[in-house]
Amino acid sequence: MKTLIANGKIPVATHYNTGKNEKLTIKDKLLLGLSLSEYLAQAFRNPLNWLFAVIFTFGGYVTVSRFFFGLGYVTHSSYDYPWGLFLGWGLFVMVPLSASGFMLGTTVEVFGRHDFKPIERLALLNGLLGYLFAVIFLQVDLGQPWRLIYPMFVSLGPAAVLFLVAWHVATYLSVQVAELVPAFAEWAAMPKLKTAVKKTILGLTIAGIILSTLHQGALGALFTYAPGKVHPLWYSSPFQWFHFFCSSIFAGLSMLIVVSTICKKTMAWRCDKSFLESLDRLTLGLAKGATLALITYLVIKIIAIAHDGDWGYLASGWGQWFMLEMVAGVILPMVLFTISIRNNMPGLARFAALIAVLGIALNRLNTALITFNWKLYQEIPHWREVMICIFIYSLYIVTYRFILYRLPILYSWKKDEDTASS
Amino acid sequence: MELIQKYLLSSLMAMLLCFSSYGTNALAGEGPDEVEIDSLAQLYDPVYFDHAMHEEVTESKCSVCHHHTLGTEIENENCMRCHAESGATDEITCQGCHSSKRFDADYLHKIDADNTLYHRDKVGLKAAYHIRCMNCHEEMGVANGCQDCHTRTDAGDKFFHAGSYTPPKSDKPVGGGH
Amino acid sequence: MKAMNRRKFMKGSLLGGAAASVVAKSKSAEASASFGGYPEAMGVLVDLTRCVGCRSCEAACNKEQGLPAPAQAFDDMSVLDHERRTSEGAYTVVNRYEIPGQDHPLFRKIQCNHCNEPACLTSCFVNAYTKTPEGAVIYDPTVCVGCRTCMVACPFYIPAYSYSSVLNPVIKKCIFCYDTRLKFGRPPACVEACPREVLTFGKRQDLIKIGHKRIQNYPDVYEDHIYGENEVGGTSWMYLSNAPFDQVGFDTDLGNQPILSYVKEFLTVVPMVLTIWPALFAGFHLLATRKDAKNKEEKTEI
Ligand code: SF4
Ligand code: SF4
Ligand code: SF4
Repeated sequence: MKTLIANGKIPVATHYNTGKNEKLTIKDKLLLGLSLSEYLAQAFRNPLNWLFAVIFTFGGYVTVSRFFFGLGYVTHSSYDYPWGLFLGWGLFVMVPLSASGFMLGTTVEVFGRHDFKPIERLALLNGLLGYLFAVIFLQVDLGQPWRLIYPMFVSLGPAAVLFLVAWHVATYLSVQVAELVPAFAEWAAMPKLKTAVKKTILGLTIAGIILSTLHQGALGALFTYAPGKVHPLWYSSPFQWFHFFCSSIFAGLSMLIVVSTICKKTMAWRCDKSFLESLDRLTLGLAKGATLALITYLVIKIIAIAHDGDWGYLASGWGQWFMLEMVAGVILPMVLFTISIRNNMPGLARFAALIAVLGIALNRLNTALITFNWKLYQEIPHWREVMICIFIYSLYIVTYRFILYRLPILYSWKKDEDTASS
Repeated sequence: MELIQKYLLSSLMAMLLCFSSYGTNALAGEGPDEVEIDSLAQLYDPVYFDHAMHEEVTESKCSVCHHHTLGTEIENENCMRCHAESGATDEITCQGCHSSKRFDADYLHKIDADNTLYHRDKVGLKAAYHIRCMNCHEEMGVANGCQDCHTRTDAGDKFFHAGSYTPPKSDKPVGGGH
Repeated sequence: MKAMNRRKFMKGSLLGGAAASVVAKSKSAEASASFGGYPEAMGVLVDLTRCVGCRSCEAACNKEQGLPAPAQAFDDMSVLDHERRTSEGAYTVVNRYEIPGQDHPLFRKIQCNHCNEPACLTSCFVNAYTKTPEGAVIYDPTVCVGCRTCMVACPFYIPAYSYSSVLNPVIKKCIFCYDTRLKFGRPPACVEACPREVLTFGKRQDLIKIGHKRIQNYPDVYEDHIYGENEVGGTSWMYLSNAPFDQVGFDTDLGNQPILSYVKEFLTVVPMVLTIWPALFAGFHLLATRKDAKNKEEKTEI
């Protein structure tokens, strides 16, 4: 893409072709204003696409085989560890990392911090795709995925936490789609659609906060069904939901910093000025929010340990593993964030965000898989299971990139009048 | 021919009868020589219990097996708390007290309805045999496996997936998973 | 009674969270819900002192439930060399435990304990489980989505999953022979097969009395505890043992609270968030934007 831009191509950001005042078709927009051969040529030039091609060939095959040969073929089909990587990674890690949507929605729409506007749509998209792919992961993991709607319409178990998760993720997905409709409407030139949704945006955002608070917490509360199975250091009946909710705040914000950094580094051509110029400032702003959440999280973690009287476990091997997670995944990013904010160092904040993201991934995997059944044996996921996870995650990245290239997420759509008159 | 069959049949009947509705206040040495036990009849052939031999082994101390239903002194201290003075009762056979339908709804209701009953937790006939026999065999260090006393029928083999129904060797657990 | 009220309350609170469309359906959900602690519930008292590990119960269960043929014959005692758990092919298994200081091993039959307030039931989001008045915890495979939360939730590691099935994988567990026997007042197949009446079938309330009586009559034989009388809110299948329970593979850290009570902390938060959040954040919004408006005004004034 860079070379093409150097050659004078301008990325599509209007409904009209530059110079010719000709309305662009959807096909033009999909191909980013390039001809098909140009488009393919630039796609083939990218080595990352070759890697994806390899992943899709093998991973795709294994993923399809799961639906032909059953879960027993791709997982260890363990009775003691009913949840493997699909949920451990796909649900419990993906969902907190996607909390950015409701965080930024709240900041901009509810708190009126319009200075965060340039990054709001990226946050919403990050949320939407995270949830969407969490559902896809879930679909791979469910024994009978075609019954996904049963908890909604066929047989209801309303007293179950998972019932709440199902409903909330479903509703929240629609809320996020609605929140992103304006971006799509601009791109597809459907202004009426945009104004219709714009009116409801405050309501949608508040709905988003409620749903997010509850289902982020609910994912934690799912483990309160297994009080004796998760190691006490990662488990606390009264605090579990709050741990998950609170950590999702800095997880979402940190993920947003990471994603925006990747965008800036790899697709600067697609970002507009206001995004690129405000990014450093916004990064530090996000870092501030993340630091506050990290501090709160650390405090309630300690309170939970004190409340449950788990100090004794700290001396064990599990205790050291726990300390590692806390020091590397919580305290370190917290300190780095603070330094970066004090000294105005967005680069350091970006590094800290990466660590925080990894830290939260470790925390969720620890809760769902590693310390789960700590009194029993350790389950190592089947290689096919790992392969499928890589496949779906790659699909996620590619979809992400596909949308970022096109919809006005990182840039704002030029007003029709501006271009028409120019 | 017919006569012989009739004779055999009636002698078998007599043998069964003499165990099931045994006369009152039996004394040591008056027991049957052999008892046919067929309560597990589908899975195993009937067991021919050598009563005479067991009388010998227990030196005719009937209460080793028969609680306080026979003349000899009671062994179990717990039973003695009530039965030290109660002497022998009319009931001698195992099934006289131990129901072969221990968990049938009727039986359970009967116990339920009778709140004067002390022996509410009385094992059924099959358990009465097995607990008595096996615990003693264990103590004496004599053969104590299922098939040491029971010959398994074809239906039994099928039930246990044994004998000619033994599954082919394989290292994989059935149905996968672990 | 207390438990019932609590469960009802929670159901209400979660319903609120599930968007308006569910409310219409809430009635049927309410009606189909079930509560533990039925007074007439049946149960089984398992007396480990009597078990000789003959595995007749396993064979009987296999036949009664139409399970696949075992990998090894049921009279093959070498399977006892490894500890086993319930699986999709075996709803009940017997394990052997060597007890330090005793010259006899103990054998323990495991199967679903048919909890009074089953964790599997409370965790299921399609309500596939039912606790019947007879005491059985049964399962409806036609609505199961296969999320396997019940397997995560069961404190006894009982439900298994037929992972090998592609088109219709379902949960596999002991159902107290409900369909074929319990419903008609008959004892389960395993109970009937056991030669030594290790398994005493009867009303749960009577069994507790019987259990305590046995302990009382033979205080130096039995541990003074009926496992399952109170564990996780009480179970329909209970155990007597002559060795400390933790030496026979029992989890003695489960506590007496039903699993549901651990989930309670979160469930009570739900209605609070639902009612307080909208007002709170709408308020924030007003405050924040008023300042905006003010700022604008001030700016224009200058
Ligand atoms: S049938 Fe009875 S004695 Fe035999 S293993 Fe089962 S519980 Fe134990
Ligand atoms: S033992 Fe497990 S599967 Fe059985 S009722 Fe209790 S929680 Fe459910
Ligand atoms: S009650 Fe029925 S299903 Fe359960 S273990 Fe016994 S035989 Fe099997």
